[in-house]
Formats: sequence, C-alpha cells, structure tokens
Amino acid sequence: MSALLFNSAFGFYVVGLFHSVAAFVSKKDLFHKIAFASVGIGFFLHSSFLVYRGVEIAHLPLTDLKEALAFFAWTVSLCFFISHMRYRIKPLGIFLLPLVTALMLGTIFFKSSPVPEILRSSWIYWHTICLFLAYGMFFMTFIASLLYLFQERELKGKKPKTFYYWLPSQVLLDDLFYKMLISGFCFMTLGLLAGVIWAEQDWVQGWQGDPKVIAALVTWAIYLILIYLRLTAGWRGKRAALISMAGFLSILFTFLGARYLGGLHTFQ
Amino acid sequence: MDLILVGLSHKTAPIEVRERIFFPEKHLPTALQRLQAESDLSEGMIVSTCNRVEILVHGDRGYFQIVEAVKNFLYSYHALSRPFLENYLYSHLRQDAVNHLFRVASSLDSMVVGEPQILAQVKRAYSLACQAGSVGRHLGDLIPRAFFVAKKVRTSTRIGAAAVSVSSVAIELARKILGDLENKSVLFMGAGKMSTLAAKHLSDAGIQNIYVANRTPERSEKMAAQFSGQAVPFEDRFSYVIRADIVLVSTGSDSFILTKSEVEGIIKKRKYRPLFIIDISVPRNVDPAVNELENVFVYDIDDLQSVIDANIRQRQQEAVIAEDIVVEEVSNYIKQASRRSVGPLASLLRSRIEEMCLEDLKERRHQLPDEEYQRMEKMLKKTAHKIAHPLITQLRESDDSPGHRLYKIEMFKKMFRLDEDS
Repeated sequence: MSALLFNSAFGFYVVGLFHSVAAFVSKKDLFHKIAFASVGIGFFLHSSFLVYRGVEIAHLPLTDLKEALAFFAWTVSLCFFISHMRYRIKPLGIFLLPLVTALMLGTIFFKSSPVPEILRSSWIYWHTICLFLAYGMFFMTFIASLLYLFQERELKGKKPKTFYYWLPSQVLLDDLFYKMLISGFCFMTLGLLAGVIWAEQDWVQGWQGDPKVIAALVTWAIYLILIYLRLTAGWRGKRAALISMAGFLSILFTFLGARYLGGLHTFQ
Repeated sequence: MDLILVGLSHKTAPIEVRERIFFPEKHLPTALQRLQAESDLSEGMIVSTCNRVEILVHGDRGYFQIVEAVKNFLYSYHALSRPFLENYLYSHLRQDAVNHLFRVASSLDSMVVGEPQILAQVKRAYSLACQAGSVGRHLGDLIPRAFFVAKKVRTSTRIGAAAVSVSSVAIELARKILGDLENKSVLFMGAGKMSTLAAKHLSDAGIQNIYVANRTPERSEKMAAQFSGQAVPFEDRFSYVIRADIVLVSTGSDSFILTKSEVEGIIKKRKYRPLFIIDISVPRNVDPAVNELENVFVYDIDDLQSVIDANIRQRQQEAVIAEDIVVEEVSNYIKQASRRSVGPLASLLRSRIEEMCLEDLKERRHQLPDEEYQRMEKMLKKTAHKIAHPLITQLRESDDSPGHRLYKIEMFKKMFRLDEDS
C-alpha cells in the first residue's frame, strides 16, 4: 500500500513536470492547469504515503537516505504549493519539479533499513522536519532569485522575450525570495538547535566535530550573511542569486556529500 | 438561402477607399433598410469602422446573385463606380463568412491584433441592426455567438494583455519593476507638455506622490498644483531621486542632466531599491550608461518603442492560439446550425415527396370510388415513404464535414423546392 501511494505520487509529479514543460513551450494555459492539478494530487498522495508509512513503522519515515530523499521532495513540493497559491508564478513548476522528480527517482537506488536505535528520540522530529523544511525553502529562495535575475536581464536589455511575459513584478519575486529566505533561516536555526539539544541529552560524544554538523553550520553562516547584506546593503538581483546558489550547493553537500566523510550522521 | 459576408478592410483597401464607403452611425438605420429593400435580402448587418466595412447578409437567392446585390447596393449608396471599388472587396460564403465574423469580433483581423474596440463596434452594429429590424432568425443566432467566441479568446489567451502604446508600455514597465504603483512616488524633471501628459497617465495608474522639479519654478508649481503634487527646487533634484521610485525626465537641455556617477551615489543611499528612469527627451537627458547600475532601469523613447515591438510580436504569438479557438468554434457553430436545420427539413422533405406522389391521384379523386381511392392513397404513401427514407438518412449522415453537410442541405432544398419559412 505504501509503495502504491509512493509510486502514484511519483507518477503524478512526472505528469506535472511534463505539462509544465509543455506549458512553457506551447504557452497554453491549459497545460499549466493540468500541471498544477497533477502536482496537487501527487502532493496529496505523497502526504498520505508519509502518514501511512509513519503509522506502519511507528516512527517518522525519515530514518534512512531513501526516506530522507522522499521527505526532501515532499518539502520542495510543499513550498511549490504555498508559493503557487500565494504568488501565481507560472514558470515555478519548470524549475521545482525537476528537483522533486529527481529526488523521488533517487529513492529507488537505496534500500529501506530498520530504524536505528539512536533515532528513537522525539527530538529527531524537530531536528529533521525543521531542517528539511529549511532546505525546501532555501531551494525556493534560490529559484526566486534566479527568476528575478532572468527578468532583470530582459528589463535591462529592453528586449522582453520570455520571462517578461511570464513572471509577476520584480517586487513580488523579491518578496517571495525574502520570505522564503527568512522562514528557511528560522527553520534551519530551530532544526540545528534541536540537534544540539538532542546530542547533549543523549550524551553523544564529539558531535561538534561531525562533518555534517560543520557543513550545516557553514550553510547556516552563508544564509546569515545573505540576510545581513540584504538588510544593511539591500542586496538583491545578481549578487543575491549567486549567494543563494552557493547556499543551496552547500545544502546539497551537507545533505549528500558529508555522509561520505563519515561521522555521526552516516546512516544507510 | 445563404449566409454571405461582403466587405473591405485595412488589409485590402487604403484609407482613400475606406473613407469613401464609411457609413456614419446616424445613417446606418436607413442604409440597412435600403440594403434589405434594394437587394431583396431577408437579414443584414453593417459593421462600419475606420478600418473596415463589412456587410453580413442572409438571403434566399444564390451566392453570386446575393454578392452582386450587396455590391450594387454599395456602389449606388456611395455613388461609386464599380471599377473603383471592385478590386478591394472580398466576399465569404457560409462557413468562411462565419469564420471571418468570428475573427473580426475576436480582434484577430485588426490592425493592432487584440485591440478591444472592435468587439464593442460589432456589438453596436448588431444592436443598430436589431433596432432597424434587419436581424432575423439566422443573424440573431450567429452574431451573439461571435461575441461569445470573442470573449472566450480574450479570457483564454493573453492576446490583449501586452501594452502597445508608449504611455501604457511605460506603466507596464513601472509595474514590472516596482509592483503596485499605489504608494510609489514619481519625480518629474521638466514641467513641459510631455511631462504633464505623462503625469496624467501615471496618476491614472494610481501613483499618488508627485514631485516636480523645473528650472523655472513657476511652471513646476503650476504642474504640481494640477496633480496635487509638490514642486521642488531644481537644484535639490538629486535628493528627491533618493525618495522617488520613478524619475521621468523631459527637459529641453542638450546635455545629460543625470550621469552615471551622480546616480551611483544615489543608489547606495536608496539601499539599491529599484529605480525606473524614463527619459522621453530628445536629445537624451540621461546618460545611457546609468542603465548599467544595479537595480536602475533607464528607458529612452526608442527603448519604449522596442518594448512595444516585442509586445506586438507577443500578441501575434497569442493570436496563433486564438486562431485555433476560432476554427474550433466555427466548426461547432456550423455543426449545430446544420443539425438544427436537418430536423424540420426532413419532415418538409417527407411531406413534399408525399405531395408529389399523391398529386395525380388527387386530381382523379372524383373519378375513383372511395374504397379504391383509399387503397391507392395508402399504397402511394408507402411508396413516398420508401423514396424519402434513404434521402433523409443521407441528410442525417453525421460523418460529413460540417461545411459539406450544409452544402448538402442547400442542394436538397433546391432540388425539392423546400422552403422552411413557408
């Protein structure tokens, strides 16, 4: 049952991706509606999968890499959903859905494993959920700054082509960027704090030197700098896009790369 | 029994011709009456705008006769010679006429594709024709359908979305860069005619804070008063650039009054808030290099024009989608129209054949005994039914193209001299 839910969610995401591309190429609104509807159904099925699987293993389904990838995909499509409802930015799907599908696809390369004993703690809920929400929001931040950049290029070049006709105003894109940045940062801070408390409570030795912890702190610092520059010097456009791209690469490294360096966070 | 459209438009005729066959609105009712009377047509509508004159009619005669009649009406009404007008006129029959009407109403045939006026003009022409009593069953069914198609095109494509005039493009750009204009402020450098005009457009678009800086303070005060803005000293203009979101420059100066280094100092103080500078002066008053600065967008009059050109291309792209909608709607309409006319036609055909079969028998009514007469009548009715049956089946055949089906209906009407209206 859980496999069925998961696979059909994946299927709907793929349908959504194809229709987003079709909408982008053909400029027909109908494809947009189909894309959005499929992502909506996919998201619903994906959420049902998480609940079902959670009840099945009596734990948050976020204990191995397979589940982590799926959960990451879920937070990204959650952010897509929220942003779409609030901002109606048409080309969002074409940028977000490839990541969602790639993450979902990635899960087939990993096997499920039993829940390790160390994860039997309520802090994991706070630690992981907050961090993954932050990751999803930071990805959104990156995409928003990219779209801002694309439209800025057309505005500066005085030759509107694609994005000018597809995107809302720069102010709105900037608003999305800023809100996602701030809320992502809050969630990341909460997630990291939860991790620290968890480690201290369970007397985990040497968590300060764990590669993933260090990578996460670097990521956190990058976004802190971005917020600081935004507030003091009003950074947006190209510079903000570059930093948020660096931040997102750092997230990917934290998420996928750091596990090869060993440490406390190496699970299956 | 045909639907025909005769007309000319900016695509076929130059203004010298169009102006001579223009129908002023107050003359339309009499023109419609003359058209109906002189050309012996059952229904008619005249759409007359500066870009087109189209006459849509429904008549009982054949295609060529109706076209000739409408053309003759045009020649005589405007006292023009046939050679003068003939080559500019086009005519469309049935399906093509429906297609043309739908395209015109949807603004696909307009000079500026997607402009909204044409629909209102067609609506006006329709209501005038209704008042003049020249709209009957056929046009009364078809023309409102054109309004529906036009609305569908407008809502499901973005054909009318992109701005195509200088002032509307400037406002479109301002909205793109700054979002909602309601609480934004604009600084005018120069208080000439162009500035005043621009101020009117911008305040219509919702801008409330207006600053005016001009070398002669009297003029800036006068303009500021007109838009309940604030006149500021010309020397202080840079400190107002810090506050403003839009700067509109239109002075008679022959050198740059905003240079890159000046603006560079300002944007830092603005914390890189986006700044939209519109330079409508010729020669230009703002150094084009200012555009290189972060979050500053400088548009001169040529740049605005290039956005207009791009927007027109965008509308044309949308028009491709709109054409598909029109084609689909035309085929829907024709299908419906032919389906509707098959029903009554079939019963007409049946009774007509029956009538033909019984004709001779009825003449000999008194020569035959009652019993014999009834027997023969019954037999002939059966025969009539046998003849009519395959014909009606043929008429109802649904896998024809809608156009072909209409043609078939017309054929049957002619062959059996069927007239629905009688």
